Amino acid sequence: MSQTMGAPGTGAAGNAPPAAYRRAGAALATEWIKLRSLRSMLLTPLLGAVAFTVLADGQARNNGANWPHLDAGQKARFDPLVINFNFVIIGILLFGVLGALVATNEYGSGLIRTTLAATPQRGLLLAAKAALAGLVSFALAVVITFTVFLTGQAILSGAHAPHVSLGDHHVLLHLLGNVYYMTAAGLIGLFTGVLVRGAAAAILSMFGLLLVLPLLADKITPDALTRHTVPYLPTNLGDEMLHHHTGLSPGVAVAGLAAWVLVLAAVAAFSLRGRDA
Amino acid sequence: MTAQAGAAAGGPGQSSAAAGGPGQFSAAAGGPGQFSAAAGGPGQSSAGARRRIRLDSRLRATARGEWIKFRSVRSGPFALAATALTVVVGAWLLGAANRGSYLAASPAGRAAFDPVFTVLQGIELAQLFVAALGVTTVTGEYTSGLIRGTFMATPQRAQVLAMRALVFAAVVWACCTAMSFAAFFLGQGVLSPARHAGIGDPGVLRAVFGAGLYLTLVGLLAMFTGVLVRRTPAALAAVFGLMAVLPIALILFKGKLASQLGEYLPGNAGEQAFHLLPGGAYTLGPWPGLGVLAAYVAVAAAAAFALILRRDA
Repeated sequence: MSQTMGAPGTGAAGNAPPAAYRRAGAALATEWIKLRSLRSMLLTPLLGAVAFTVLADGQARNNGANWPHLDAGQKARFDPLVINFNFVIIGILLFGVLGALVATNEYGSGLIRTTLAATPQRGLLLAAKAALAGLVSFALAVVITFTVFLTGQAILSGAHAPHVSLGDHHVLLHLLGNVYYMTAAGLIGLFTGVLVRGAAAAILSMFGLLLVLPLLADKITPDALTRHTVPYLPTNLGDEMLHHHTGLSPGVAVAGLAAWVLVLAAVAAFSLRGRDA
Repeated sequence: MTAQAGAAAGGPGQSSAAAGGPGQFSAAAGGPGQFSAAAGGPGQSSAGARRRIRLDSRLRATARGEWIKFRSVRSGPFALAATALTVVVGAWLLGAANRGSYLAASPAGRAAFDPVFTVLQGIELAQLFVAALGVTTVTGEYTSGLIRGTFMATPQRAQVLAMRALVFAAVVWACCTAMSFAAFFLGQGVLSPARHAGIGDPGVLRAVFGAGLYLTLVGLLAMFTGVLVRRTPAALAAVFGLMAVLPIALILFKGKLASQLGEYLPGNAGEQAFHLLPGGAYTLGPWPGLGVLAAYVAVAAAAAFALILRRDA
């Protein structure tokens, strides 16, 4: 008798809301499963990273071979780090699109409804997604940045062109800045994906924001409006990580990228909490 | 008895197919009607006439179906509106920004100034919307599974694809030509104190029509790529990579090979169509340039027609 009385008691205890850290751990675990079990999420970054490295190395080889033909002024402007990362915008695009696909894949397959039923705490869910996407982006960015740097500088050195090594002044700082830039691009993509939900719209937004808009803005001669807006486009902020061309200080550029990520995160969280899935 | 019943059923079906009524579906499906015609002697005499009516009424019905799908999916009008907004607002911004720089430029800079291309450059961004529309017109149907219904209703897959391309091209061409005229007039008005072009000036009509044709061809290239790849992200990545990433990648490489390859990229070549002056890195000329882009479309179309007949939906 006492046993039957006890059974509902334990049941009630089991139904008590789990501790916040356990819920967060569970959300992280499910997000990780979703992230790693998607075949396209394994193959695409790999192919993208290889393509990006091949392009960057080709660029280093091309510029190394061209070095003896440069005049004195061009030789003075030759920056081995900038040349090495000439294609950084294509890498950034890769991160942005992949980040966006992490979110839109779930909307495309309808899995998002199951996810939200399992974890109704949508803010927590977005935080878990962002934490994992950020971590994966960071790891991929470290691998890509240092592979490109080491191979590219070796190629430049082989061509007897100027090159730098990790120990040189500020080189490591520039490379870490680039890792930060790529990670931020992944998160910008993720939050954009949560906002627009459709794969086509999200990919379009990434190409527009990260690639075409800055190119078009460069064609407009600077006036009062563009001088105060164009340098704050994410790719122009990110370019500050490797070289200075907009006149912003590196600190402002780092803060500006963080602002892009945080504002998009806030808008995405607001939208995710307020909208029907 | 069965044959007679089939022939009797075929009679009214024929007349209603010509009228475009419900008989179209059964005519297009072509299953039982054909079978009874082949089985029954009397049906054979009218088979030729019936097939001829079937082809054009089927094409008309398919075109109408494609039009319904095109306009009733929200992304269609939305993408076209975004394209128009980008091109027209871009013309205004680019015109305003370049007016000052023209007045401040050196004589050499003024001579190289292309008033038409300058204000139509927004197309470089707008082409992404048209390309996305082209891709999703096809891949959206694979994602939703509607493609199976489409092919069940019209097993003549080549005709479905042809009609879809026709409807898509007609709508996109009409919209994009209209918006490129609007962008031209607005942009020239904004440029006004600086060098600007009138619509009657030599080459101007060609350039403004060329802009509409360029966007239409980009859309078709994207559409056929969608047929080849069938998945939205992959198809978009392929088209955007070809149109937006490869030109940048090639510009960063020095040497003859890169510039020659760049000349024949679809975007770089096709863009010549809305240049008034030969300028920039690539100088293929307007019509050969548009021809190169059209050749890409033709190759993609050939592959799409070949694959859509072979593959399971």
